[in-house]
Amino acid sequence: MGANLDVLQGDCCRRTRGVLTSLLLALGTLAPAVARAEEPALDPTDVKIHAFVSQGFIKTTANEYLTRSKRGSFEFSEVGINFTTNLSKDLRVGMQLFAHDLGPIGNYAPSFDWYYLDYRVRDWLGLRAGRIKIPFGLYNDSADIDAARVPILLPQSVYPIDHRDYLLAQTGGEIYGNKRVDPLGEIEYRAYGGTLDLATPVGPTPGISVSDVQVPYVYGGRLLWLTPLEGLTAAASYQALRFDWNYHFIPELIQPFQMLNLVPAGFTGTLPVQFRVKLWVASLEYQVGELSVAAEYSRWVGKFNTQAPNLLPPHTVNERYYAMASYHVTPWFTPGAYYSVYYPNTDRRHGRENRQRDLAVTFRFDVNSYWLLKLEGHWMNGTAALDKALNHGTELDALDKNWAAFLVKTTAYF
Amino acid sequence: MNLLRLPPTCRPPSHRRARRALVVSGVCLLWGLAGLTLAPSAASQGAAGYQVIVNTKNSHGDARRELLADIFLKRATRWDSSERAMPVDLRLDSPARKAFSQGVLGRSVAAVRRYWTQRIFSGRDVPPPQLPSDEAVGKFVATHPGAVGYIGPGPVPTGTKRLEVR
Repeated sequence: MGANLDVLQGDCCRRTRGVLTSLLLALGTLAPAVARAEEPALDPTDVKIHAFVSQGFIKTTANEYLTRSKRGSFEFSEVGINFTTNLSKDLRVGMQLFAHDLGPIGNYAPSFDWYYLDYRVRDWLGLRAGRIKIPFGLYNDSADIDAARVPILLPQSVYPIDHRDYLLAQTGGEIYGNKRVDPLGEIEYRAYGGTLDLATPVGPTPGISVSDVQVPYVYGGRLLWLTPLEGLTAAASYQALRFDWNYHFIPELIQPFQMLNLVPAGFTGTLPVQFRVKLWVASLEYQVGELSVAAEYSRWVGKFNTQAPNLLPPHTVNERYYAMASYHVTPWFTPGAYYSVYYPNTDRRHGRENRQRDLAVTFRFDVNSYWLLKLEGHWMNGTAALDKALNHGTELDALDKNWAAFLVKTTAYF
Repeated sequence: MNLLRLPPTCRPPSHRRARRALVVSGVCLLWGLAGLTLAPSAASQGAAGYQVIVNTKNSHGDARRELLADIFLKRATRWDSSERAMPVDLRLDSPARKAFSQGVLGRSVAAVRRYWTQRIFSGRDVPPPQLPSDEAVGKFVATHPGAVGYIGPGPVPTGTKRLEVR
């Protein structure tokens, strides 16, 4: 299913790289705010400004991963700036501008990462409207934020970075709240509904183009239980969405596809597709002292509804899980590690193309309160998380089975 | 919670039933961990290097540690009396902040910072304002009826009173 989602992956509209430069200049202009962040900001109607800039480098021993990584790539940049203010004691507004580049995606096109109106009626009831980060698992809504975690790449089985356009934020509404239920701890809930704004992707193969991409709905929620055992959190998340689009075949492809029985007789060249996806994840996190451990298990179920069931499999279930730990050794040094597993199709687990195992080790160095540096190594088994197009069209079963990725990333934030 | 008090099931393991002993040991371990990580003693507040202060007009003389933690992490926006709470922090490197974080929030200053970094950049909320000194905290709390802050050991500033943490 992850692979099926790739069918929608395409080049975002390319914008000038000067946009990133402009954002960086804006950040430079705002440099005094770095100091201001430590000073009193006691007027609740003050506009709070926060920002981050990240630059990374990826090198793999084999296979192209996320970008042209075999030769080493700096196409791994993120920049964001947000503004938040209270319009009244219960009404808050905020927005974040974000631009990124990761190999073929992002391309520094600036976008609103999130924006919202937030009205908190009671602690147990709040309402948000706008473009809102999706609460899925423990870390999805902060997956963009390098400073908020130890690893450079979150476990890619559950938080695939190249799927951020579909998973990170939705446009619509949300209700949320939290309630203490002594002696059982505290419950936090978030429930949302809306749509996704997607750019039209390129076709999956030459001769096939895509049009009319829409997401009629996305909805879901997360229930988070802060247990009475201090630091132990359990969560369950669910999300459902539907993608609609049309495939257009050039006339020369229609007959060969009909001969292979991949499209129905009488096929005219346009194939409407409905793709329903249901995702859930169960999560557990425990923070005790300077130790933090987390584990999550997830399944994503995808169903195609088309006139060409031989071309697009009607039903696919994939499996994703990981376990992760980190330890805050000193204020400036935090090592961490995780083991992450991804099976794109639970019915086919054999073969390198049907699995991705990832053992990762990270060293995070907090140079000061606003600047950090990370080093990370990944030892991979399998090729299921790789992109065929990025690997010059090589089939996944022909790519190197065992490979490694090394990453360096530095982030400044305030 | 008494740290030394264990549930009656936590007796020395029997050699006859190793599996049962393992389960019991697990329960004991979890119980012990719960005891170690649940509420710190409120009586230790002053000696621990911080004292929580509120405006003298605040009707509360004491507050549950969980409520205070929720207010400072902005999971709760109001006092039990429904009055709006206005938490204020000290600087990251303040000894009182370190003591308060461990004693009331149950996590290190670094962990609290990571919590706020997540919430700031995911659009959830922004942290309480940070003030540079005990004096600044005292002045802020004295002039805002719903305010709550913490300072190091010493006399309580005029216009504020000490809030006991249960």
